[in-house]
Amino acid sequence: MDATIAVALDGHPHRLAAGTTLALLLTSLRYEPSAVATAVNGRFVARSNRERFELHEGDSVLLFQPIAGG
Amino acid sequence: MHREPQVETDTWQVDGVTLCSRFLLGSAGYPSPQTLREAIRASGTQIVTVGLKRTLARGGDNGFVAIVRAALAEQGARLLPNTAGCRSAREAIELAMMARELYGTAWVKLEVVGDEYTLQPDPAELVEAARALVREGFVVWPYCTDDLVTCRRLLDVGCALLMPWGAPIGSAQGIANPLALRTLRARLADAILIVDAGIGAPSHAARVMEMGFDAVLSNSAVALSGDPVRMAHAFGQAVAAGREGWRAGLIPVQDFAVATTPVGGERVLVGLTDPPIRDPHTTRASRK
Repeated sequence: MDATIAVALDGHPHRLAAGTTLALLLTSLRYEPSAVATAVNGRFVARSNRERFELHEGDSVLLFQPIAGG
Repeated sequence: MHREPQVETDTWQVDGVTLCSRFLLGSAGYPSPQTLREAIRASGTQIVTVGLKRTLARGGDNGFVAIVRAALAEQGARLLPNTAGCRSAREAIELAMMARELYGTAWVKLEVVGDEYTLQPDPAELVEAARALVREGFVVWPYCTDDLVTCRRLLDVGCALLMPWGAPIGSAQGIANPLALRTLRARLADAILIVDAGIGAPSHAARVMEMGFDAVLSNSAVALSGDPVRMAHAFGQAVAAGREGWRAGLIPVQDFAVATTPVGGERVLVGLTDPPIRDPHTTRASRK
């Protein structure tokens, strides 16, 4: 059985294959890379770094989108 | 022949960008994306604020941001992302980084909330975040209170301008502390000062501009009004009118009356006696 890891995605439990990168996660969620910004464990991860950013057990992943604002 | 008064272009500059409109508009809370687009157009604004939000749902923002981008492209205007909702310098810094990537601008309206009731900024966290973001190459537009010392600290760490509140966000109170704002304007004479938050009516905006401030930002007063498009137009006019009033030079406020019609100090009718005189054109005979 392939190894999986448990991460938190927007505060909710989410299981991923071990070795999943942030870029692959966005692809699996069907997000356009330019449509969201990403943070892992409270730190911004630039779009250009997602391909080599491997997620680990217990990581907290947050996605952000543009919205109207004052 | 009637001649229109000469009104030269009154511009201001931020980060090398020349702006004609002194009204900034928030994009939140409109009844529809189309209304927002029309309000942007009606206001003449050249800067519209936007935000970021955590998301997992794919619902998106109902097209608001796309509408804003299209409207701004028509007017040659720009987006100003905010860090609304952040409670610490760390949060604000991370969100600003994300905003820069998502929106493609180094401009950031920096907000770090210190109190949930007033939504006023935490001055210590605000200055810390501003310092860090300036170092990272951001053009920081800090939303602050009217505290003079905090404002000085923000300028010292490199903020491009200041955005002091008129009153708590969304409260529609207008200028809650005019003395504090007048003090800021007087003591920070060379700084770009934009009053943001608490503006409830076009008259509030006009008053701010008459005080010599450089611009006004409003969101709720327009978006939540009965007719946001008409209100946006009104705000655009009010800001321009207040600015022209300030440029023209307001007369001083007096505690006493100063007659305007130059009749001099003498009685108008000499020979006036009591009781009141009768109409000199009416005789006793003609009144019978």
